[in-house]
Amino acid sequence: MKISRKLMSLAVLTALLMMTMGVAVQAQDTTLTITWWGSQNRHDRTIEVIELYESLNPEIDIEYEFSGWSDYWTRVNTQAAGGNIACIMQHDYRYLTEWSDRDLLVPLNGLLDSGAIDASGISDSVISSGSVGEDVVGISLGTNSQTFILDADAFEAAGIELPAFDWTYADFESISLQFAEQGIWGMAYGIWDDANLKAPLLSTGQDLYNADGTALGITDSQVLIDYMNMIVGLMDAGAIPTMDLQADISAPGLEGSPIVDGREAMRYQWSNQVVALTTAAGEDRNFVLYPLPRWGEDGVTPNYLKPSMFFSITEGCETIDEAAAFIDWFTNSTEANDILFAERGVPVDADILAYLADQVDPVTAQVFQFIADVSEVAIPVPPADPAGASDVIENVLVPLFVDPVLFGMTTAEDAYPTFEEEANAILAQNAE
Amino acid sequence: MANEAVPTENVFDAPPGQQKAKNTSASRDFKLNNVAGYLFISPWLLAFFLFTFVPMIISLGLAFTNYDTLSQTGEFIGLGNFERMFFEDRRYWNSVKATVTYVSFSVPLRLAVALLVAMLLNSDRRGVYFYRAAYYIPSMIGGSVAVAVLWKQLFGADGLVNAVLAIFGIEAIRWLGHPDYAIWTLIILAAWQFGSPMLIFLAGLRQIPQSLYEAAEIDGAGGLTKFFRITLPLITPIIFFNLIIQMIGAFRAFTQAFIISGGRGSPLDTTLLYAIYLYIRAFNNFQMGYAAAMAWILLLVIAILTGINFLISNRWVYYETDLE
Repeated sequence: MKISRKLMSLAVLTALLMMTMGVAVQAQDTTLTITWWGSQNRHDRTIEVIELYESLNPEIDIEYEFSGWSDYWTRVNTQAAGGNIACIMQHDYRYLTEWSDRDLLVPLNGLLDSGAIDASGISDSVISSGSVGEDVVGISLGTNSQTFILDADAFEAAGIELPAFDWTYADFESISLQFAEQGIWGMAYGIWDDANLKAPLLSTGQDLYNADGTALGITDSQVLIDYMNMIVGLMDAGAIPTMDLQADISAPGLEGSPIVDGREAMRYQWSNQVVALTTAAGEDRNFVLYPLPRWGEDGVTPNYLKPSMFFSITEGCETIDEAAAFIDWFTNSTEANDILFAERGVPVDADILAYLADQVDPVTAQVFQFIADVSEVAIPVPPADPAGASDVIENVLVPLFVDPVLFGMTTAEDAYPTFEEEANAILAQNAE
Repeated sequence: MANEAVPTENVFDAPPGQQKAKNTSASRDFKLNNVAGYLFISPWLLAFFLFTFVPMIISLGLAFTNYDTLSQTGEFIGLGNFERMFFEDRRYWNSVKATVTYVSFSVPLRLAVALLVAMLLNSDRRGVYFYRAAYYIPSMIGGSVAVAVLWKQLFGADGLVNAVLAIFGIEAIRWLGHPDYAIWTLIILAAWQFGSPMLIFLAGLRQIPQSLYEAAEIDGAGGLTKFFRITLPLITPIIFFNLIIQMIGAFRAFTQAFIISGGRGSPLDTTLLYAIYLYIRAFNNFQMGYAAAMAWILLLVIAILTGINFLISNRWVYYETDLE
């Protein structure tokens, strides 16, 4: 029997209509969208938390998207440009100001005041670290601080004494040189990335950027120049591998760091990376966590309590109340934190911190203790990186200052004026 | 009877010496053929218009703004991007230098290797079909990320290349970290992917009549003479074609360099090819307007160089038809 064309098209149309009806029924649940970056460990934990939330709140349907760090910002920027950014997004200090200045993030002050997001257990400095001006645009998901991880066994084997907690860069230099004599690197890489270049500046009361982000905040450039010269000296002495070796040494990433197999005695990390590093290094290692060294006898310990990352609510989100409820539960509930287990950093809520402190493994407990010790000497959080900071770091600081000096093409004294000029130009342009 | 208008089925069938008629069924057929042709390519035409032509025009417009993807629109800043590019951006000139180095070395090298291999494969020995396919394989998989990742491994400090060099007693070279050597990993990769120009050279070589070689041999010509006097002049059109195509491709090289340099053009910007710097500006710094300006300058440069190539081609390219 031949089916006529009209009958066929009618059947297809009906089928399509039925499918759309099915969709319409589902759309009665509220859909919350969320996006984050991280390692597989973080993805697994976060997804488990989301599913738990969905089971506790059946009328909420959460759609999530995640990626690694390097692809994250390209993706979310494209989504923001296209107007389909997720409702809750994980944010970082580096870009918080840029996004907030362009009105892409919803100020959360109202939600905090009303208690929709319960911030009673969170210290004011943590809240203000997620603020741009008066607006709170991000809730910190964990506290972080920089640490130099020292391999106590390596020190013992080499007959070198562990330094004091408030050690200086002079101590770091002399320790590195002593290790170099024994054929071990002091620290293979890391101390010339932008976070570490800030350290001697912060230690001497300066910062890379000035208070309103319109220019560099370096008032005594000799500090930075001497710091670079120290690194060059350590490279010449063999305490740090030279630049042509760097590509191969840093290729394996965190789990392949030279401290894992004993090629270096110290390693720099953010405190929320310590667990991953120790897991890779093995259980019977004796790693001790130190703060950043001070610059000179008068310098202060340049550590600050940095929010490891934030949750922000994006402009155009239609489910702000549901988003706030989720963020509140994420930060304050014991069920969520049982799963998250301080993977994003030391918990910001005092109750959760106390709750987890008893349950965590020795390494995480060590990190908690480190944060507690550092918070006694930490300096206030420097303002968020200004607009144009990423441009300055990627296109000026590294290719025109750090790399040429470390590759031996020029000296720090000669390269600094170029860096200053170009960086100021970019920051001034972006400040308009 | 000559010069009478002759209507024909197909305009190309008109007998020689006789005019083709206007407004006869011949020209109507011609127009009908056109319509059919356009219909056949209409999907491609539509996609080209939507996804290539229109974005290109938008990009041209963006090049004069400071659009940064985060805000919905950009402000018109006239020639601001171009001023910054040429006079204030030091890294721009690093990328130009890296790209020019890459093109100057990789294109001749690739063409030379392609020609050499084509000549070797220009035989009727058994198994030559297999070799022709086999030597084309690197080019087929070449554009892929996987090959670039593997290539990076090969040139690592403990990689295969250094192992082979060690056999000859040469000390391990820091291919990836040393500013003098890093670009060579890219150039050698380009030379390895000689498949397309090789096949085209092969086709050109096959067209050279054997009788020419036999005549030369009778006159006592040796191998090198045969090459320089017969082979080379007769394949100059092919060389010209390959040169243009490969040069355009080399200026736009991105994937391999991106993977091998880790997306940063390291070390010391020596592998910061133009396309990579464009990517960094567009997607790391979100300066789309600036990146669009960079893209149009690249287009201009490629167009000018291709034009120059065409102009001077009269001097060294011999077409068969010129001889008649």
